[in-house]
Amino acid sequence: MQPGYVLVKEQLFFRKELIERLPWLIRLRWAVVVFGFAGCGASYFFWQWLPLPLMALLSGVLCYNLLFLFVWRRLSPFKSQGVHSGSGSSFIRAQDILRFNIFAHAQISLDLFVLCVAIWYSGGVCSPLALFVIFHIILTGILLQPLSCYLYGVLVSLALGGLLWLQQGVHSPIFPLWYQHVILPHDGNSVANDFIGIVRYATLVAAVLITAFLVTTLKLSLRTKGRELLRLSKALDASNTKLTALYDMVKEMGMSTESKVLMDSATRRAAGIMGVKACSIKLLDDQHKKLRFASTYGLSEDYIKSKESIDIQKSPINRKIIDGAVYAIGHIEERDYFAYPEDIRKEGIASLICLPLRVEKRILGVFCVYSDADASFTESDVQFFALMADLTAMEIEKLNTQLNRIWFLQKAAHQLRSPLHAVVSMLKILQKGYLGEVNVKQKETVQRCEKRLELLDSLVKDLLSLSIRRTALNHDALQRVQVPEVLRVLSGLFESQAREKTIDIIFHIDKNLPTVMATDRLLDDLFTNLISNALKYTPPGGKVTVCLARAEEGGIRLEVTDTGIGIPEQDFSRLFSEFYRAENAKDFTETGTGLGLVIVKEILDQLKGAISVSSHIGEGSTFVCHLP
Amino acid sequence: MSCVTDILVIDDDKDLVESMRIILESRQYGVRVAYNGKQGYEKIEAKIPDMIILDVMMATDTDGFDLAYKLKHQLEYRNIPIIMATSFPQKMAEEGSEKFQHILGESWPISHFIEKPIDPEDLLIVMEKILTEHKMEMNQS
Repeated sequence: MQPGYVLVKEQLFFRKELIERLPWLIRLRWAVVVFGFAGCGASYFFWQWLPLPLMALLSGVLCYNLLFLFVWRRLSPFKSQGVHSGSGSSFIRAQDILRFNIFAHAQISLDLFVLCVAIWYSGGVCSPLALFVIFHIILTGILLQPLSCYLYGVLVSLALGGLLWLQQGVHSPIFPLWYQHVILPHDGNSVANDFIGIVRYATLVAAVLITAFLVTTLKLSLRTKGRELLRLSKALDASNTKLTALYDMVKEMGMSTESKVLMDSATRRAAGIMGVKACSIKLLDDQHKKLRFASTYGLSEDYIKSKESIDIQKSPINRKIIDGAVYAIGHIEERDYFAYPEDIRKEGIASLICLPLRVEKRILGVFCVYSDADASFTESDVQFFALMADLTAMEIEKLNTQLNRIWFLQKAAHQLRSPLHAVVSMLKILQKGYLGEVNVKQKETVQRCEKRLELLDSLVKDLLSLSIRRTALNHDALQRVQVPEVLRVLSGLFESQAREKTIDIIFHIDKNLPTVMATDRLLDDLFTNLISNALKYTPPGGKVTVCLARAEEGGIRLEVTDTGIGIPEQDFSRLFSEFYRAENAKDFTETGTGLGLVIVKEILDQLKGAISVSSHIGEGSTFVCHLP
Repeated sequence: MSCVTDILVIDDDKDLVESMRIILESRQYGVRVAYNGKQGYEKIEAKIPDMIILDVMMATDTDGFDLAYKLKHQLEYRNIPIIMATSFPQKMAEEGSEKFQHILGESWPISHFIEKPIDPEDLLIVMEKILTEHKMEMNQS
């Protein structure tokens, strides 16, 4: 049994047909009036005979059609509220449908009455106009309820029967208009012939009733099919909505760079998509002995605390889920599923689905959704949730793999740098005389060792930075950032570096610059690499200028100009290659990993920006970046 | 009563520990050493130092942070100033690895963070600043 509101919605949906087709009758009547008067005109023209009663009838039709047109226009506001809405029927009220129904009945009743009068005037049951009754029955069948169609069929049959009775009893005047002339030859006795009259009448009634039956049957059949199509369409819409929501959920999980954020996103979205009160993810510990809540949505703090650590050996249901079982429990009260059912009851959970989070054969944990209604989940809900669990498990695994990879890189870098740092620290102690006086030559040699080791340290740091940047995880979600603010924070550091080298550094930052899609970290690295490069390759007494201005094509233009050593033209094509340093750069300073500009280029690629370089040997270089 | 400032250096790199001993003893600081978090905690229990210089990765990936948080949650040790010295960049420790995130949910448990390689002068300047501030805070309370 469908819920009442669904039935009403369906009925209203089909009532839309009534509202859309009511104007047909008005238009048909215009055609009848026009052709009718044209016929009268032709009759007068050819046979000098004006069928006055017919014209009077047509005038009557014209008048009441005008009245119907006026009424239809008054009903239009109710019509336009519902008919043209996206759902088609959402806004039509039941009382408005009554108005349209009455309007339809009024039109059909008047039309049938006029038709009966016309039949009476044009020869009774012998009149060719009698056939038009069938058309009216068909129209009634299309517009109104089946019962109304049968009712009108019966009424028309009775009216024609009455007419036949009057004709045969010769109690009413017959004006066989068309039969008075040679248009249609007429045998005056056939009407008075009881048998033929009855046969004609019976044939007509049979035609009317069979037509009513066929039309209503066909309409019911079409309505049933229409209902089924509507149901399928709604089911498809619902599935489409769910799949779109699942896609958004997977996309959001894919952009997460932290496990907790990913799982919180999963539980929140899963609860929304499944339409439940709560959701949770529990993960297995390293020993696969305990389950712990990793993320919850909609569960109380007390409940979470009571289930903080679940020993799998003591929980048969969780053990079975870890082994791959699916639990969809529609009535938690009915059986003893849980060790502590009172906790579940207190939380208001009446039904749930619990599935393993599985990647290939490995189980990561358990994914559950909880409903406060009994028997809340259908078979298709369980299947859909299983799909969601598989996708979530894949995203968790993917993120963990990437995080482990990054952690490995960071640890590897740490392990490489630690002994370097120890050596550098010892060299510093030696150089600064903590272990006794050192002569100039010794100091110089120690300094050179220190420099080479610091270079190696920078190389490891830059390699680490580049490797991490090239993992997908580094692509943090971009957001609107105030670029001048990031530069202002760093300017102190650059000024300090410039002072050490007696270089003049100037910042020109225009006012009211637009924001750009970036992250603070990316901009930080961009500025650090560009400006540090400029300072590195500018001799003492030189100048570095940093300008931030609005770009003509939109976004921001960053320009870093130095009065340094410049870049040879033949090196431009290799400037952004890994480890590449121009010969004059190597001659100028040994420090430099050859990775700074690679990092700059990759940042700009990520921000969908661009970079260009102009330079002259001995005069300096200008790097221009566009941040859209 | 000894007026020598007692510095506890906790680091698993013996060469680095020796370098720091040389730097600190040159300024007449008293130096004790430990090579992991567990040893360091035992030394702290034996005698509360005036300052701790602490590495991050020792016996475990987060040994130094774990010790720092352990001290912070104990009344008698929570006020010991800690300088964290590590080969991890500070930025990474603040923003980066999830290994640190579970700890960095709480407030930063150290007084200062210094990236290796350690410059002797920089270390001494930072130490003196922190010790002076710590002494003033203790006098006020």
